[in-house]
Amino acid sequence: MGDLGRIHQLIIPVMGHNITLNLEAIVMTWIVIALLILFGYYSSKNRGMRPGTAQIFGEMIVTKLYGLTEDALDKEKAKKYAPLITALFMFLLLCNWIGMFPHMHEPTKDLNTPLSLGIMGFFIAHYAGIRSKGIKKYLKEYCEPIFIMAPLNIIGEMSKIVSISFRLFGNIMGGSIIILVVSYLVYSLVLPPLLIAFFGIFVGAIQAFVFTMLTVVYISVQVK
Amino acid sequence: MINDVQTWVSVAAYTGAGLAMGLGAIGAAIGEGYTAAQANFAVSRNTKLSGDVFKSMLVGQAIAESASIFALVIAVLMLFYKMPDATMIKAASLLGAGFCMGFGAIGSGIGSGLPGGQACIGLARQPSIGNRLTTNMLIGSAVCQTPAIFSMVVALMLIFIDFSKAPLFPTWAAVIGAGLSTGLAAIGSGMGGGFAAGASCEGVARQPETAGPVTTTMLVGQAVAQTPSIFGLLISFVLMFKAFPESTTFAASAGLLAAGISTGFGGIGPGVGNGMAAEGAVRWVARSVENAGGLMRIMLVGQAVSQSTAIYAMVVSLCLIFVV
Repeated sequence: MGDLGRIHQLIIPVMGHNITLNLEAIVMTWIVIALLILFGYYSSKNRGMRPGTAQIFGEMIVTKLYGLTEDALDKEKAKKYAPLITALFMFLLLCNWIGMFPHMHEPTKDLNTPLSLGIMGFFIAHYAGIRSKGIKKYLKEYCEPIFIMAPLNIIGEMSKIVSISFRLFGNIMGGSIIILVVSYLVYSLVLPPLLIAFFGIFVGAIQAFVFTMLTVVYISVQVK
Repeated sequence: MINDVQTWVSVAAYTGAGLAMGLGAIGAAIGEGYTAAQANFAVSRNTKLSGDVFKSMLVGQAIAESASIFALVIAVLMLFYKMPDATMIKAASLLGAGFCMGFGAIGSGIGSGLPGGQACIGLARQPSIGNRLTTNMLIGSAVCQTPAIFSMVVALMLIFIDFSKAPLFPTWAAVIGAGLSTGLAAIGSGMGGGFAAGASCEGVARQPETAGPVTTTMLVGQAVAQTPSIFGLLISFVLMFKAFPESTTFAASAGLLAAGISTGFGGIGPGVGNGMAAEGAVRWVARSVENAGGLMRIMLVGQAVSQSTAIYAMVVSLCLIFVV
């Protein structure tokens, strides 16, 4: 049970500083990216009025997520942000699902992946807010209801990054720890596939969707 | 005899197991009772459907039960797993694990009973959409379990991670604080998530064609209602993994214990309140789906304000850990 919470790291000393690379997360992220590029290539290769299987899947995902983005933002802004949102959802979904294959690990199990995506969403939302409202009105919103509240408003905004990234990290890492411990206790008999179906497929899909929707909603709160 | 470390580890393991199962049984039982009560109401309303309502009630109760099953797993683990390292810190962390799992299962148990009950009523009202209602109930009550899953993870970490190299003072307080932080904060979030899920089952039954926006609003609302328990998880991780310098003064230990208690209790109210905000938004999205965007924005702003108290509690905890 010593594996609990252990991370495989490559530490490179460079001029007195140590550069730490989390190998598992990096390699798994590359695999996910490669699979997504392959999917994109196959779903758009033979496009036609009578679509193939890959094209139907691609169109279904893109239409659904375009619709969701349009509901939260408006038509014009959706054109700008929907590609990002679609890519984010597909990346997270594959990241959360890849752990159900043997010897594969979810990149989202490593806090660095959700945290960097959360910071990315935070900056995009605030950039969108400044673009649509102007810097003056944007800054003024921090001083509501009175200017003394500004530090607390800033902490409140920062806590959004913490909550969005720890939600994904906690769910995926929690699922994998529970699967590890229970498999160890029952000698990998009967229970693990059921647990993977719940924590891997079901919770993974819901958390990918929640992360994506919250990113959209954060953008829409800033824009309007 | 009484100074024997092994004895104290066993004492802590048995106490922790009792706390985990005893406290953990509270919530699920209340939730299941609520589901059964609503099922009675549904059957009396539409007697012909008693078979379907009965099935729906059992599914809802089975999911509400899972929080206490998590507690059972932790309790059995603590009773029968032989700890490789018997130190006084392990004794403290086993006690912390018991508190964490016990408190953490209360909210999720109560919360996931609510969608089950509303699904039974909805089934009596609109028998034709049984499948969609069941799907919605399953998603809603599965998300309600997230705070209980967080507490189970922290409890497992407290049981299995080797703390023996850390100094006994003040690490004993840090591990108990870690358990209390996630455990207490999970109470509010679990209940709050249940409010939103219950309202969404009611909404889907009322207006089946609004199921898409209702489920989306429910998921976002529940996700934000879970934020206090995520703050609890964050404080627990900091308390477990930060290396504290040895200090035999009692104040240092009390500070770390208080850091856990602060975020833990501070998370209860915001979790319930955020759930109420989500409940209102989901209910009204079902009635006027064309305003879904505006309703969601008002919900988020309201939740952010109600959440600020959990953020104050977390700031105090971080100050207690890093500054004082």
